[in-house]
Amino acid sequence: MKMQREVFIAGVGETVFGKHNVDYDVLGRQAAFQALQASNIDRPDVVQTAYVGNGLNGMGAAQRVFRDLGMCGKLAIIRVESACSAGAMAVYSAIKDVTTGVADISIGVGCENHTMHRATGTAFAMGMDDVEGMQGAVMTGKYAMRANRYMHETGATIEDLAMITVKNRKHATNNPHAWFKGDISVEAIVNSRMIAYPLTLQQCCGISDGAGAVIVCSKEMVKKLGIEKPVKVAGAVVQSGPYHNRPRDITGDDITESSAQQLYEESGIGPEEVDIVELHDAFTIAELLYYECLGMCKKGDGLKYLRDGQSTYGGQCVFSPRGGMLSYGHPIGASGAAQIAANVKQLRGECEGYQVDPIPKVALSHVTGGGLGGTEHAACTMHMLTKAW
Amino acid sequence: MSDSKGSDKSKKNKKKKEKEPDITFFHPELLEIPEDGSPAYLKGYKCKKCGQLDFPKLTPCPSCWGTDFEMVKLSRKGKLYSVTDIYIGQPGMKTPYMFGYIDLPENLRIFAQMEGEIGSFKCDEEVELTTGTIRTNMDGLPVTSYKFTKPSV
Ligand SMILES: [Zn+2]
Repeated sequence: MKMQREVFIAGVGETVFGKHNVDYDVLGRQAAFQALQASNIDRPDVVQTAYVGNGLNGMGAAQRVFRDLGMCGKLAIIRVESACSAGAMAVYSAIKDVTTGVADISIGVGCENHTMHRATGTAFAMGMDDVEGMQGAVMTGKYAMRANRYMHETGATIEDLAMITVKNRKHATNNPHAWFKGDISVEAIVNSRMIAYPLTLQQCCGISDGAGAVIVCSKEMVKKLGIEKPVKVAGAVVQSGPYHNRPRDITGDDITESSAQQLYEESGIGPEEVDIVELHDAFTIAELLYYECLGMCKKGDGLKYLRDGQSTYGGQCVFSPRGGMLSYGHPIGASGAAQIAANVKQLRGECEGYQVDPIPKVALSHVTGGGLGGTEHAACTMHMLTKAW
Repeated sequence: MSDSKGSDKSKKNKKKKEKEPDITFFHPELLEIPEDGSPAYLKGYKCKKCGQLDFPKLTPCPSCWGTDFEMVKLSRKGKLYSVTDIYIGQPGMKTPYMFGYIDLPENLRIFAQMEGEIGSFKCDEEVELTTGTIRTNMDGLPVTSYKFTKPSV
């Protein structure tokens, strides 16, 4: 979006991700409360607008998050939804309020509880009124087709794809918020249960629960609250995915490419300046393709970029320093907000045990959403954050 | 805000509407299986105003907002762009099954299930339209639709 005035992040929060026996609203409230306290806010009438990203947890979900915080009745609370992109879209909406002057301080929350609401062992699918859905389409399969085509064109192997999981789980080793973490071998990944060839279980994000929250505000409000380490929102982009029913290259990703281009232009920050990235690594193949789509390397060089260690500690840009979705799992409404929370903590040097060294100054996040018949993704949300102290 | 749970108990006595049977063919607007035994074909729709050809039918034409279309029989053979074998599928669907993207000469990409041996399809091979069961409907009956398979000749 075109920024009308500067917007800063005052504070963030995130829950532990995994299987929770408390519902989405409790998780959302935990993350929101953390973010409020981290922003030096001590009463319920400071934040002026609120957005909640949630996918599947029923009607009236947004207001329930704020009930016990005493905030209901004091501000407009709006739910946003775009499948997997919802949490980031909630933060985007909060930023929009602040940059346009609708509010001086706003909160974006992403929260989701999947495990209390659905059976495991089934894959996400599109609606039955969509021709692909009727033919049995599932998101795992759509990514698997991207993987098969990529392997066909480049000679990449399943073992290469598995390296993404190895790397991201390693990054997450000491992250208390991550679910699946630590050492795992390529063999264990390749030999785990087949989900959609060539994607095995350990190459797919887990079905998990969690929440993230981000408080954004104006420059004046940063001073008023006494925020010592404000993070600047250098760019925020939401795009809708173009409809396709013609041959096209699925080893690229049109919406990620055009969203990235817009983000680089609007923020004035190019891919070579980005220190860390949290992206939509819902499946191993996605991260590999997105190195190229984000312009971190040339088209066709993604595998080399990975093999050369450019996407881990000591490389050009650390991808998924929190462990990504492959470590957190992917509660669809939560992930986008949690990515931003994790990036802010990295910029502030608050990630004990998994802090990127040297402490990053520029962080990018990327999350797509949905997979309507004909579109690879219904939405893509991206944010560029920079150190501002 | 009110809680809507449990508030419709009083309506339970209303006479239940007769349940309509679920579809067993998907879908007359997409697929034709001629009664004379000639080969089945997919139906493309060509906008009469601007000439754009789409599958499935889009209304209005997203290019010019035209609302009149001419049905076009699409090619029965195409190239398999990519494919996958699904082991964890949609709820209620028997696994494994396969689907892929088939590129037709009309510059259209069709998403469809594949008929044949699991793991036997490769990118860029030629495939041909066939028909068969793609899933089971809500009544437990098979749903017939388009699929692609190895060419018969
Ligand atoms: Zn037209």
